[in-house]
Amino acid sequence: MSLLKEVGAELIGMFFGDARLTIALLLLIVVAGALIELTGIDPLVGGIVLILGCPALLIANLRRERRAIAPSRSAA
Amino acid sequence: MLIWSTAAPAVGAAFLASLVEVVEAFTIVLAVATLRGWRPAALGTAAALALLAGAVLLLGPLLNHIPLHALQLAIGILLLLMGMSWLRKACLRSAGIIPLHDEDAIFAAESAQLGGAAQRHQARLDWIAGMTALKGVLLEGLEVVFIVIAVGAGGGLLLPASLGALLACALVLLVGAVVHRPLSRVPENTLKFGVGVMLSAFGVFWIGEGFGLDWPGQDLALLVFAAVFLCAGLAGTAIARTPARNPVMELAR
Repeated sequence: MSLLKEVGAELIGMFFGDARLTIALLLLIVVAGALIELTGIDPLVGGIVLILGCPALLIANLRRERRAIAPSRSAA
Repeated sequence: MLIWSTAAPAVGAAFLASLVEVVEAFTIVLAVATLRGWRPAALGTAAALALLAGAVLLLGPLLNHIPLHALQLAIGILLLLMGMSWLRKACLRSAGIIPLHDEDAIFAAESAQLGGAAQRHQARLDWIAGMTALKGVLLEGLEVVFIVIAVGAGGGLLLPASLGALLACALVLLVGAVVHRPLSRVPENTLKFGVGVMLSAFGVFWIGEGFGLDWPGQDLALLVFAAVFLCAGLAGTAIARTPARNPVMELAR
């Protein structure tokens, strides 16, 4: 039973390493999908939103992590 | 007909990702073998490989029943989430925000845990050692299986991706058999960074294909996406490494 639990935790951990980043990425995919499927604009716009949005979210997440550790570093 | 512009990134991603995971699994199996001999280690490994093969044989045929665009979209989303998670972790490790993965430390921890179990349950120790090997190989192998299926299934590249993974297994076993110690000199974080870049690029590519988008340049777009994620990873690492300005400290000056 504990093995099954660990397998489940491993599978969840594979895709949801950081909740904020995961949610932001899923929202970005929804926005890109809506642009491609629901609007009359060139579908490539949705693709560009996706390919530029993902790196932007990654950098924003890393910047946030750096700020989060700043107080502990300066206290040390 | 195999198109190398698509097959090469798929084989490369499967090979590098498998290399990372197999090195981690090898450390655990080696700890078991060092403490209890190769029999429980080999039995646990074989049982885990059988479970993984069973999962692939059970789930593999189901993929043929899913419409291609839905499959590409689902796999693309999972690949992007996994790739970005690996890339983020590799950036944080490179920046020194979280500690690097240390195979020697993991080997010592696994050995100590088994040593502790030896004192408590002497009679069942071979069983515990076998289960430790099984768990290690199964948990690390799950990621390998997913990556092989994910980078291979969307473009009919299951065979080349599997070959990439098998090549990584063979390489780790060969080097492991020669050096007979944890493979701590493998630049695991750099590999993880590279795999994160490639999986993220595949993820965006398949999501677009899943939505019915024709990427300019077709498969060559993958290389452009990989370059974008590589630049983002390098920039993100540099940003994370730079000390953040602390308003309280600045006010105090």
